Amino acid sequence: MPVKWLMHWQPNQGVTLTTQILTEACQCVESQLGGAKDGRWKTALTYYRPALREASASGDLPRELLGVALHDQLGSYYFLLRAHRLILQADSSMQALMDKLQSYKPRVVLNFEGFQYRLGDFQVRVGKCVPSSEVLRGIMMEVEYLPLSSIEKSRQILEDFFDIWQDTVKKRSLPGHFILVEPNFADYGLQDHYTPQHTAVQYATCMTQLMAAVRN
Amino acid sequence: MECVVQGIIESQNNSHYMRHNNGVRLQHVEALQILLQGLCGVPKERVRVHELCLKSGPNLGVVPSEVRLLCDLAQPTPSWTVRHVGGAMRGAGAEQISVLVRTIVESKVGHNVLRFFYSLGYKLDHELLKEGFVFRFQRGAQITVTVTSANKMPKLYATDEAVPVTPGIQLVEITAPAAAENYSEVVAAVSSFCEYLAPLLHLSKPGVSMGIVPTAAAAAASLMSNSGAKTL
Repeated sequence: MPVKWLMHWQPNQGVTLTTQILTEACQCVESQLGGAKDGRWKTALTYYRPALREASASGDLPRELLGVALHDQLGSYYFLLRAHRLILQADSSMQALMDKLQSYKPRVVLNFEGFQYRLGDFQVRVGKCVPSSEVLRGIMMEVEYLPLSSIEKSRQILEDFFDIWQDTVKKRSLPGHFILVEPNFADYGLQDHYTPQHTAVQYATCMTQLMAAVRN
Repeated sequence: MECVVQGIIESQNNSHYMRHNNGVRLQHVEALQILLQGLCGVPKERVRVHELCLKSGPNLGVVPSEVRLLCDLAQPTPSWTVRHVGGAMRGAGAEQISVLVRTIVESKVGHNVLRFFYSLGYKLDHELLKEGFVFRFQRGAQITVTVTSANKMPKLYATDEAVPVTPGIQLVEITAPAAAENYSEVVAAVSSFCEYLAPLLHLSKPGVSMGIVPTAAAAAASLMSNSGAKTL
């Protein structure tokens, strides 16, 4: 599948995050870069926690398990154990199976949703991160370069796109900037050839960054 | 949800061979295979599945849980499936029917699924290698007939060194996927299919073994002679 990069919005110190940033970012893609709106998208990330018979004795059980349902892989589901650097690909029925087991329970669901745009060989998605409480937790973007599946081969062109994007956003004098954090895919045993697992790992990283940004 | 019945059939053990009137040694499993082939009209597929049964660790989960990891070794590239077998349907209606209706959830998964469940705090309870054949066909429902021998491993994961758990006996399982709206039709389809196999084996709800059918030897002989008996 085509290589995809995720970036997230880092607000300036002390600035409260608002949906205005999302509106501005969408306008940048549409008017400055000439992106054509191409529908909506939604990815859901679920936090599972172990259900313990004795809460005090968690032992060496993982404290969290992340489940990712990607918008472009509807029949699939991805589980991440970050502490173990492990990602498991499964069918979407795996969620029902975890429900049956009752050993890990979903606690929080974060939805990443917004609009998608087509810009030549690029597919760009701009979205907000909202938990079920609907409080805005972050703004993020997916940039996909459709002709290539090799991370290394597409690196230069995506970096160039990122630079152009940064310049475009800068002209609007918004209170913050977009950041690209590339996870170490090799830690999860993922190769240069891009797969949906790469995307799921990026969502997990992006979510951590967004939570950290909100705390700051 | 699925409908399921099980039974056992003899194989390979010398005492269970029978002699055809022209001196050909016969096996009940072979006869079953011929019968199934005739009934279904589809070729059989080979089964070679490494099954690992995992149970939740002592403190994990509100209730203890069990999950089965199935590695299909019959394909050139092994593929993994996770299966959770839920409780059987209960109540007066369920008791009256001869087929067990139970919930089942399955998912195809990546090859690192064993590491995944170990990391979650699940422990290996036991492992088996199931070998045999399967027929899949449509007959009032999507029916799957699996005939396998269960083998145990002398060492962990050593599937190449597996030896039979019950030599001379194979398990026959008939399953069909069902839903809440149509399970009674599926039960009827499975029950009526079971009648065709009745001369060779008893099929009943899992856990309610009815043993071996006394008429099996004669039925097998008849089937083999009609099909132009194979020499072993």
